[in-house]
Amino acid sequence: MLFNKANKQNIKTEAGEPISLPPSGFKLVLKELLKDKFAIFSILVLVLILLFTFLGSAFVSKESLDTNILDGLMPAFSSGHFLGTDEGGKDILSLLIVGGRNSIVIGISVTAISIILGLVIGLISGYFGGVVDDIFMRIIDFIMVLPRFMIIIILTTIISNYNAFTLILLISLFSWTSSARYFRSFVLAQREREYVMASKASGSSNVAIMFREVLPNISSMIIIDVVLGIAGNIGIETGLSFLGYGLPASTPSLGTLIGYANDPVNIMSRPWVWLPAVVMLLIISYMINYVGTVFQRAADARQRR
Amino acid sequence: MKKMLEVKNLEISFDTFAGKVQAIRNVSFDLKKGETLAIVGESGSGKSVTTRSLMKLLASNANVENGEILFDGQNILEKSEGEMRKLRGSKISMIFQDPMTSLDPTMPIGKQVAEPLMIHHQASKKEAYKKALELLEMVGLPNAKDRFKNYPHQFSGGQRQRIVIAIALICNPEVLIADEPTTALDVTIQAQILELLKDLQKKVKTSIVFITHDLGVVANIADRVAVMYAGKIVEIGTAEEIFYNPRHPYTWGLLGSMPSIESSASRLYAIPGTPPDLLQPPKGDAFYPRNEFALKIDAEQQPPYFEVSKTHKAATWLLAPQAPEVTPPEEIQKRWKKFEELKRAKEVKDNE
Repeated sequence: MLFNKANKQNIKTEAGEPISLPPSGFKLVLKELLKDKFAIFSILVLVLILLFTFLGSAFVSKESLDTNILDGLMPAFSSGHFLGTDEGGKDILSLLIVGGRNSIVIGISVTAISIILGLVIGLISGYFGGVVDDIFMRIIDFIMVLPRFMIIIILTTIISNYNAFTLILLISLFSWTSSARYFRSFVLAQREREYVMASKASGSSNVAIMFREVLPNISSMIIIDVVLGIAGNIGIETGLSFLGYGLPASTPSLGTLIGYANDPVNIMSRPWVWLPAVVMLLIISYMINYVGTVFQRAADARQRR
Repeated sequence: MKKMLEVKNLEISFDTFAGKVQAIRNVSFDLKKGETLAIVGESGSGKSVTTRSLMKLLASNANVENGEILFDGQNILEKSEGEMRKLRGSKISMIFQDPMTSLDPTMPIGKQVAEPLMIHHQASKKEAYKKALELLEMVGLPNAKDRFKNYPHQFSGGQRQRIVIAIALICNPEVLIADEPTTALDVTIQAQILELLKDLQKKVKTSIVFITHDLGVVANIADRVAVMYAGKIVEIGTAEEIFYNPRHPYTWGLLGSMPSIESSASRLYAIPGTPPDLLQPPKGDAFYPRNEFALKIDAEQQPPYFEVSKTHKAATWLLAPQAPEVTPPEEIQKRWKKFEELKRAKEVKDNE
């Protein structure tokens, strides 16, 4: 029986069933992320910090942020003020929550603006090349040689009516350039790929090719730039506020809190005023950076483990 | 028969650091409705440049020096980018050489196939997807329905080329340009894809310009063949005429270097030398340095086209009335003999 002719009537020309497929795009990034225990830990911590600052802000009472000289300079763990108070009697814990939220919001906003601007200009510049590219690149070169901190500091003192929104615009004005350059380099590489030519050959317009085909193909670079950008921009905001040119004094941020360390007495004998903000800033920057590098690794086949 | 495409005296050059490269030197041919024209030639002979110029997709350093390309009586070269965009993918479409790179890696294949329909016919998403699915089934993509939302990397080379063909065909183009569509595939898949193209041509009545350097593929699919060398068409005729009654020494060389069951030679023939530098195209016949049958006049003057038959012409001085008799290689003589037999058989058939 075994040697009867096998029933072979429906031989297909090609294998019908899909074979097991390698993961792609976000799945791959997710897989890489889940493999890394410290990355999971980082994300958990970041989520906790976000919840702590954003939800916490809702519970912060207005009085705790008001000046109240009588309660000034209470050390940590005193009754009613878990992390103590500053010279003006403001509750440090409340300042940390609201300030942390402000810093994160500014970091994210600046990143959003500069990534969108950088992406559009990087796409146009890289895709069209030639004169368009030259013009944009020379503008970017020019902005990059400007001493950005000095200009921001001068502008903050000149601009009347200066608030968080103007600060976001000011920092974005300078930070989109590096994103634009970064994206341009990837667009340049994508532009030469045959699918772009093939898409042109089927009648797609340049705008459609740029945003619907090239853009998804550099998406992993965008994620990396977003993640690393947020950490960097929080740092810039904090630095400016520390120097006293960031947010106006009435608006707390991590930078203004750390700024208390300008006072030698504070730095020596009142660590509760500035230390929590420093620790929070370090944790946020470090964790975001770590997650960013994991994304970067996942997106780059050569670095993948 | 109606002429779909007419290329007249096309001359294209490229600006490079070294100077002007004259890639296409006075190329003329036409394409009739429903026929397949194969353009054969070695690398760098200008096949791909010719086809890209049909789509007006030349690189930015290319200059069209002379000539016109008529599609439906209108000169493509004078059309604006916007007008071209309307033609591309709807009236004229193109299959690219490498299916591994000509699909967008981040877009599901169904969407890629449906897209030209949405661009050109303002079809709704639903209609376009329905038609795309039908077409994917028609080109023989297995499990098309389940795999509609898959990405290109999840398909094999042959499957991807089927998808690429589906994209090219979805708007029922009048002219399909296939730029070495089987070169990147292995032989069994090659045969399947060629069969598919032939079937589809019967169904949708498209004219095909088929670019290849593989004469085996040409024999399989072409009605007419144009042989290109150094930016010129050196011989053009029906497939039968090119294969069995070749007149240009370069065509002889190409046919001689193709392995066949009948050939008795123990070593495969190779044309000696390399193609000329098109930075400074030779004064005479470009094939002169490599041509063992060359005449003195070849070094001095470019040969005009000599008509062999109504459909067959070749640019070689060997066909001039004053030229001496030349005995071509044995292999070619056999082919000529076969051609005579075929001709006689046809006459007998016609007389009956």
